[in-house]
Amino acid sequence: MTVEDQNLAEKAADGDVQAFAQLVRSHSGLVYRVAVRILNAEEAQDASQEVWVRVWRNIRKFRGESAFSTWLYKITVNTCLSVLRKEQAREMREVGDELPYLPVTPSIENDPETAALAAERRGELLRELEHVRADHRAALVLRHMEGLSYAEVAQILEVPEGTAKGWVSRGRASLLVALSRQPGEGPR
Amino acid sequence: MNGPNRWETLEKIGAYAASELSPEEAREVEQTILADPEALRMAESYLRMLALISVIGEESPEVPDAVIDYALRQAALSAFFRQAESFFSGIGRAYVDAFVYYLGLRLPGAAGQGI
Repeated sequence: MTVEDQNLAEKAADGDVQAFAQLVRSHSGLVYRVAVRILNAEEAQDASQEVWVRVWRNIRKFRGESAFSTWLYKITVNTCLSVLRKEQAREMREVGDELPYLPVTPSIENDPETAALAAERRGELLRELEHVRADHRAALVLRHMEGLSYAEVAQILEVPEGTAKGWVSRGRASLLVALSRQPGEGPR
Repeated sequence: MNGPNRWETLEKIGAYAASELSPEEAREVEQTILADPEALRMAESYLRMLALISVIGEESPEVPDAVIDYALRQAALSAFFRQAESFFSGIGRAYVDAFVYYLGLRLPGAAGQGI
């Protein structure tokens, strides 16, 4: 963790609003980025606000044992997962342990096209990501979008490293299956 | 590749595409890919998907001003109430002290004792 973050966190813990404001300005990108990817743009704003309220309330508990960003990731992911838990009724389209085989073979034609940057495909990926099981999605976002190591993913999600690896792997597979479906094909 | 094996293979190929396998495991997957066109398609699919994910990961969506404004407002409000609480509890304590002194109830030995 940077010394600056540590100092700012200590000052914020003593009630220094200016120090807290600096932390918010430096790290609001991280919080919002992760929230958008685990949730969606609409929910991400509320969730990000909630994250910062939680950070302010709990900053005295931050002891600098891990990087400030790791602590922040943890609060962000937990906040997003609690938002998702409230939406349990929502249908999940993930092909998980319940379905023992792939219903559709991913093919080159149905795949993320060569033009990986195509906005349409990017939008589709983010939409399909919403249907991957919440904890698998969080693990996938942390590993492949945030570029964290499995040790860091495990620390943030508070699970053993093997579990984190399993979640990323299942998240990846579920997302591929979802992306490979023909347009208009319903949930399975 | 049927049933659970199919899912297992899918995950294994995913790990291969993400370069997360040991050299030995990677060789095993490569053999599968070479022998099975479906496995090859899966590997290609994974590579494209991971490339797309990585591109998305490099983007930084703009944080709405409302997020920062709300966070700072809440913190300022909370800090104000903390200070106010401390101020009024300080006044309250001083008032009680003064009242105790006025009634002559202060214990012997206490500062500013007895008339």
